[in-house]
Amino acid sequence: MNDLIKHSVRFFALFIIQAYILNQLEIGFGIQLMVYPLFIMLLPFDLGLIYLMLLAFGMGLLIDAVSNTYGLHTSSLVLFAYLRPFIMKLFSPREGYEKVREGNIFEMGSRWFIYVFGGLLAIHHLWFFLLEIFRLDEVFFILRKTVLSVPLSYLLCYLLQALFISKPKER
Amino acid sequence: MRNLIAFFRRFRVFLVFVVLQIFALSAYFSFLQFPRSQYLTSASYVSGNIMEVRNDITKHFNLSLNNDKLQKENSWLRQHQPANFQRLESKKVRIDDTLYEQQYLFIPATVINSTVTRRNNYFTLNVGRAQGVVRGMGVFSDKGVVGIIHNSSDHFSVVKSVLTENINIDVLIEPIGLFGLLKWDGRDSRRGTITGISNDLKIKKWSRVVTRGGSGIFPRGLKVGKIEELKPIEGKPLWDVVVRYSEDYRTLQRVYVIKNLMQKEQRDLESNIPPDKEE
Repeated sequence: MNDLIKHSVRFFALFIIQAYILNQLEIGFGIQLMVYPLFIMLLPFDLGLIYLMLLAFGMGLLIDAVSNTYGLHTSSLVLFAYLRPFIMKLFSPREGYEKVREGNIFEMGSRWFIYVFGGLLAIHHLWFFLLEIFRLDEVFFILRKTVLSVPLSYLLCYLLQALFISKPKER
Repeated sequence: MRNLIAFFRRFRVFLVFVVLQIFALSAYFSFLQFPRSQYLTSASYVSGNIMEVRNDITKHFNLSLNNDKLQKENSWLRQHQPANFQRLESKKVRIDDTLYEQQYLFIPATVINSTVTRRNNYFTLNVGRAQGVVRGMGVFSDKGVVGIIHNSSDHFSVVKSVLTENINIDVLIEPIGLFGLLKWDGRDSRRGTITGISNDLKIKKWSRVVTRGGSGIFPRGLKVGKIEELKPIEGKPLWDVVVRYSEDYRTLQRVYVIKNLMQKEQRDLESNIPPDKEE
């Protein structure tokens, strides 16, 4: 019950931040900040992949509905959710994921987080810009947008966690 | 049959993934062409209203700038009022004027949501079918052309702006009367390009670009921008013409929607042109 409230609050908070603040910002150099994948990232490890994708689908549709992107965010976020278990398996710690509750930066350590979340975020951004521009002759523009946007999005996600997620007590 | 069920069970997750992706991607690519429904756009009732609340807060940030703009436009219009002209000819009396018939009506609107950094940028307006706004009408501001209505609901509408890839507004380069199609390459919100200008003609830099008004969406002579650069295209007898827009779409707020009262007449007449015979 407690978890349900926590995740719903995160869902709406990230939705509002993304749709009403970050999508309205114009930073220049083709940079676009996207923090909503953090919601999918912080969902519990034992949640089934189908539920994960349905949640991603719902969140993507909400963001698309208010920013006139018609399915761009949905497609990228579903891809993010689909790839999450695979990437997590790739970088799983020695004792597995049984003791930890969620994959935030304090529970798993910054090294794990930068591999898993950074990698997923890069795939998400690349997919998003590929679909948005959809031209092979502008590959370098797509790559430039991705390379510039991913570190900033990652940094913002890091800050959000540092601000709003309490560090676990020493065991 | 059992094999089929086993197959579905095995690839259940992947199938859900594929179905969701197909749904999202088909929505994306079909909306770019033609809007089938308005539930997933900012023209829908709920998101339209949220946008309006947001706009109510943020519109005050550049209020004085907008007031200045409107005041300038007002003073320009006031100067052109007949009451402000002195009568030089006193013999002619104008009774019921049948020389002019109203062709265009303008519906004032406010932009409540907009982006300029995407590849295809759409603006949301706070007018809709209740105010008589339907798909295909033109939109302009006091400084330049803005776009074409893409989709409208009862109280909101979405504009396919000049900052989309396939906008194709027919424009005219002013002193020489050349015309081409206005396009946008998706990079810079201040510059667009005109295609179809052949390079045997000399074009002066900074000559004005206005709408041609051929399709009846825009009246002739609305400002678009000025020519900033002419580049030859390799292997084609055409210029690549770069236009600097006169409107800064990043600060756009007040716009007008154009209703052409003679649109149907023009369409009906033009549909009578016999199609080219294939040879």
